[in-house]
Amino acid sequence: MRILVAEDDAISRALLGRTLQRAGYEVIAVEDGAKAIAELVKQDAPRLALLDWVMPEKDGVEVCREVRRRKEQAYKYLILLSSKESKGDIVTGLESGADDYLTKPFDADELKARLRSGHRILELEDHLVEARESMRFQATHDLLTSLWNRGVIVELISHEIMRSRRERSCIAVMMCDIDHFKSVNDECGHAVGDDVLREVARRLHNSVRSYDMVGRYGGEEFLVTLNKCNPESAVSRAENLRVKIAGCPIQTASKPVTVTISIGLALSTEFTQCTVEELMYQADMALYAAKAAGRNCVRVARPFGVSKPVEEQPKETPVLAP
Amino acid sequence: MRKQPMETAAEKPRQFEWDLKELMERLGGDQELFHDLLVMFRGDVQMNLQKSHTAIGKGDYEELSRTAHTIKGMLRNLSMGAAAEIAAALEQASWGSLQMESKELLEALTKELEGILPEVEAQLAEVKP
Repeated sequence: MRILVAEDDAISRALLGRTLQRAGYEVIAVEDGAKAIAELVKQDAPRLALLDWVMPEKDGVEVCREVRRRKEQAYKYLILLSSKESKGDIVTGLESGADDYLTKPFDADELKARLRSGHRILELEDHLVEARESMRFQATHDLLTSLWNRGVIVELISHEIMRSRRERSCIAVMMCDIDHFKSVNDECGHAVGDDVLREVARRLHNSVRSYDMVGRYGGEEFLVTLNKCNPESAVSRAENLRVKIAGCPIQTASKPVTVTISIGLALSTEFTQCTVEELMYQADMALYAAKAAGRNCVRVARPFGVSKPVEEQPKETPVLAP
Repeated sequence: MRKQPMETAAEKPRQFEWDLKELMERLGGDQELFHDLLVMFRGDVQMNLQKSHTAIGKGDYEELSRTAHTIKGMLRNLSMGAAAEIAAALEQASWGSLQMESKELLEALTKELEGILPEVEAQLAEVKP
């Protein structure tokens, strides 16, 4: 494990360096507090640090305060090392954000034992962060497909609509629905149905740009938004998504299954005063129109009604592979 | 065969308190590190002693406190306990800007270090890297 040693006295630095190297640490040594901060705020900063109290530029206490001020970074275990011994000094050191305190000249065994204690704290911290991230993911994502869940995708679209109005750009909202999905579940079983949902989600996600958004709206329905899109190319991009699903059978646990999707598309520039709910309603109406038109097609919501894209050619794709 | 530093120290009459046994235990018997630390000490202690004299001449007790603190750390690291205590007292006196006390303590520290440095040289002659 890497460890930072910040110590202005060359003798202490050499002693600490050798002791820590013998104990298996990779030592990064600096001679003042400013350099210590520069090391500790790096992306791949060491998680353990031994900081001398009295140093030029910034002292150990200031280094602790600065590191603790930057809460966005991974937790650092900070040990203050100094010849200060009074109770008041210890309290000041710990209240500045130090995790532990050692007096000089240090005892090598005590130093190693305290560093092991630091390891345990960091491991615990890592477990807690991991658990928090896992809970955050579960709260925001659909567990089957790992796409954004309904609540999050709707909120994200709402933000994007506000942004698009500020920036006078266009966002395209697409309501996508797997055609005849019920028959997939009925004929092939729910495990295959789940495989289909996962693969459709994957293909949709992989077919859009990194700043577009894909979420599972519910059941076999997905919401896709194309942010900052060109209104002229939105329909062709929707067509591209449709082809990505229909064009290649899905390999499921039991057999390949071909499915198609119908897409209802609404452009924010066509409904300039609409809320997110109203824009989604428009996309939903367009989806109904796509279903009514025979499925496996794209329909576009217009202020005067749903229209058929000019470039669309009717397609017939079997629901299930033979 | 090269002599162990603690044996060398034991053979010579002690001019000052230097607990070489305790120091070598802390260094895990690392002769090379022992040599490197003494080389560092020889240069740094003289530089900091000089800074201390300049600081007291200017009445700069903040600077004196810093240099005394540094010297104290070096001496403690090398198990030179008695000298370290004088440096600690000097650091304390300079915090309180105690002119006479600081002057006396700096003189005492200088004298102590004058006794230490030949012994350091003797150890360096015995323990080569």
